Amino acid sequence: MSASQEQTLEPQRAAELLGRIEENVHLVIVGKEHVVRLAITGLVAGGHVLLQDLPGTGKTMLARALATSVGGTFRRIQCTPDLLPSDITGSSIFNQKDLSFEFIPGPIFANVVLADEVNRATPRSQSALLEAMGEGQVTVEGTTRTLERPFFVIATQNPTEFHGTYPLPESQLDRFILSAEMGAPTDAEAMEVLARRERGDPISQLSGVVDLGDVLELQDACLRVVAAPAIRTYIVSLLQGVRARPDVLLPASMRSGVYLQRAAQAWALFEGRDFVLPDDVKLLAGPVLAHRLSMRGRAKADEMVQALVASLPIPPLRQH
Amino acid sequence: MAALKLRLPASPVENSLEGRAFVFSGFCVAVLAIVLYGQDYVVPAAGVAATAIGHVVSYLGRARKRSMLGQALLASLVFAGLAYFLADSVLALFGGVLPQANFAIALVAVTSFDLKTRRNCYSSLWISLAILYLAAVYAWDYPFGILVGLWAVCLAGFWVASHLRRMGARLSAPPAALAAVVLGTLAVGLAGFVLIPQPTSLAPSPVVVSLPNFVSFKGELENPALPLVQLSGDPSGATSTIDLHYRGRLGDSPVMYVRTGAPAYWRGLVFDTYQGGVWTTSKRGFLEMQPYIPPRLLPPAPPNNLGTFVQVFRVLRPLPGVINAAYPIQSLYAPVTSLREDSYGTFFTPDLLQPGQTYSVVSYLPNLTANELKNEPAANAAQFIDPIYLDDGALSQQARSLALTAVGGHTATEFDEVMALTNYLQTNFRYSQQLGHVPAGRDPVDWFLFDVKIGYCEQFATAETLMLRSLGIPARLATGYSTGTYDPVLDQSVVREHDAHAWVEVWFPSHGWVPVDPSPGFSALAATQFPSHWAAGGIARLIPHLEIGAPLGAIGSLGLVAVIPVAVAIAVLVVFAWAWLRTRRRRGRGGTKAGPCESELLRLYERVQRKLGRRRAPPETPLEYLSGASPGPVLGVLEQVTDAVNEGAYAGRWPDPNVVRGLADRLS
Repeated sequence: MSASQEQTLEPQRAAELLGRIEENVHLVIVGKEHVVRLAITGLVAGGHVLLQDLPGTGKTMLARALATSVGGTFRRIQCTPDLLPSDITGSSIFNQKDLSFEFIPGPIFANVVLADEVNRATPRSQSALLEAMGEGQVTVEGTTRTLERPFFVIATQNPTEFHGTYPLPESQLDRFILSAEMGAPTDAEAMEVLARRERGDPISQLSGVVDLGDVLELQDACLRVVAAPAIRTYIVSLLQGVRARPDVLLPASMRSGVYLQRAAQAWALFEGRDFVLPDDVKLLAGPVLAHRLSMRGRAKADEMVQALVASLPIPPLRQH
Repeated sequence: MAALKLRLPASPVENSLEGRAFVFSGFCVAVLAIVLYGQDYVVPAAGVAATAIGHVVSYLGRARKRSMLGQALLASLVFAGLAYFLADSVLALFGGVLPQANFAIALVAVTSFDLKTRRNCYSSLWISLAILYLAAVYAWDYPFGILVGLWAVCLAGFWVASHLRRMGARLSAPPAALAAVVLGTLAVGLAGFVLIPQPTSLAPSPVVVSLPNFVSFKGELENPALPLVQLSGDPSGATSTIDLHYRGRLGDSPVMYVRTGAPAYWRGLVFDTYQGGVWTTSKRGFLEMQPYIPPRLLPPAPPNNLGTFVQVFRVLRPLPGVINAAYPIQSLYAPVTSLREDSYGTFFTPDLLQPGQTYSVVSYLPNLTANELKNEPAANAAQFIDPIYLDDGALSQQARSLALTAVGGHTATEFDEVMALTNYLQTNFRYSQQLGHVPAGRDPVDWFLFDVKIGYCEQFATAETLMLRSLGIPARLATGYSTGTYDPVLDQSVVREHDAHAWVEVWFPSHGWVPVDPSPGFSALAATQFPSHWAAGGIARLIPHLEIGAPLGAIGSLGLVAVIPVAVAIAVLVVFAWAWLRTRRRRGRGGTKAGPCESELLRLYERVQRKLGRRRAPPETPLEYLSGASPGPVLGVLEQVTDAVNEGAYAGRWPDPNVVRGLADRLS
């Protein structure tokens, strides 16, 4: 590793790298700038992202395009009710030639993993996946194997009202740094999608624009973005605000506050800033907090968080 | 021209139940003070009940918007309260004890139905403080301090409940600093206690004149109401005596309230005969009269009369049936079956005056200034029919020569002589309420003049009366109460036990009996004067109990001891100033102070907002505010200021003063 690589990444350079990834992903994904940026934020923040929407809205395409753009290995786990934990982590099989057990790594051993329709897997398989997400390592047959960095999981999930789903428990939802909804495309976007697919699938021509080292540097730069005391105050009051809402059954965890700060740090890099603004926190509060809140009745967590963010005073500008 | 906006900044809705409880408690403390010291019960009780309901109503409705109708109703109720106040105070329609306090209580009760925001709660607390002030006018004891402390606790409690809760902050203080403050305060208090002269027996300390002193004081005469005089059962009062060998107890309890147009001496019994240390009266006749005595039954107005003024006396404790009032009296009414007038112009009621009883007196205000009195030549003084007022038989030869020495060179007019002797007594003798016993066989006047040289009003007045007589000037001893604590705002005096007083009445042939007061600390010419409401002295008296110390004349007799309190005060000030300077310097060195540009930049940011005509809402971030701003010449500056503010507040990089100045220049 040369001396220049050890130096910290300039915020401007980080913004430029991120711009390149974004641009590349948009070769495949039409529109959805916000969701794309959220997904990249999750990657830079070193977390994992949950995409929720109906089938066929481009969740898988986004995951694949992102994986290709950063040039890492990409594996996909199609979750079904009969998926076993060993199908995710891999298992040892007996090698007749050497008369020994040989470990065949599962799809989890990759830089970018797409866990498609994660809520169709049984809770047992889900927890195997989520353990790997939380610890960055898997334990198979008594041997602990570390996963290569960067390790980034994009899980997609169908809305829970669908048949044959096992909703993720709250503790496991809590492990995703943020969650986003793809949303239906506009008419113009739909026409653009059709136009691009006329001569085949554009993803086959997609190539990497940054390498894994750049991603690690971006993750490093993210940690060096300053979150001022005022920002911390703001996040804490936000969590307290959520706790005080009468329609919240399960309040926001401490981990969600940590994730909110980290995601805001990553988001600041997009604009070449080395400090977090309350605007970043406001923008990310919904994606980071909403999916892990358990609401009473039919109340919508996302709407509640938006209303809270709109009414909660930001900390005073004067620090002394 | 921009429209002038006269709107208060928004005050947050008060959601803290504890805070509201403190507001109500503060009001209750103030009302308790009114009940204890004003002896008023009906309106305070009703006020507390109504306020309790009002608090519940306004707490439940705090989230609701104010209705036009409700506001109008409240305003009309406030005006109704004002109308009551005018009716009760100016027109005296209801005979209220404390109309101003009742008005304030009504105000709190009415507004308690509308306690929505923090500011409303504070208003309620401040009105409670005003009520407390009204009670303070009547209070003269340490327990009142407890009430003030309780009110302060309520204020602090509300502050904690309202502000700290909202800020999400917790009270914390460095224990070492806290301990230092507590111990330091204790030490200062202890030093003051040790160093400031205390009332001990024979201590020459008039500083205690106005301080409660009943702890170390024991009198032989247990007649608290008229402490100086021994009363007999004689209806004329003629067998009552003053014995200089004994003295009464002079506590701090109020004896009566006097609503009066002018502060005056409230004269009671008069004595003309002195023998063996005892004052008695020589004339025993009295007249039976109706309870209302019109002017025609009384002596005509003095020739130099300036006008009349009314006094209404409210008795607070059982008093002997002596009508104390300003002299000379024009007319008089007391709600009793009959009145008696003795030969000295003093009136008596047949029974004791009971607490709650009132009587009213109209008095003349003779023009008794120094210039007026100087017109009488000394030779005229003795032209008096009754030689009893010139009887100085009890006075020793030594005292007679002392009187001659005192007035030496000031014999041009009667007035000069009287004032020379009065000033001589005031400057050469000390005033003290702590007096030992007269030794057996010693004349009390000689004992005072030549042995101890310390005395209180009786000694001074007796000595002056007899010495004036020895100079050929007719004089007699008057007793009663001095003015008491006069409040020019309320036109009211509170007269206490220790205001019991004795002074001298001197005969001036063309002016009648003129009061003269030889006690140090009192005005030598004790004639009534209208109060100067607007002079500095009057304003100083608006603050209750400011005059804890003694008058200057009395301090003069203290000598060097008087320096001690001043020195202690200066030392305390110096220590505080030193500590303050030290912390300032340390802070400056530590560099924890905010950079100067931070404040300048944020002030500039506020200015830009004012210029744009819309303030940043609390939940709005600077960027959101920027995107909501209307385009215009200010927008360019706002963009740069917003960037600088963001950079400063969230990255800790405040800009250079030059940058801020440049932006400010661009703005203007």
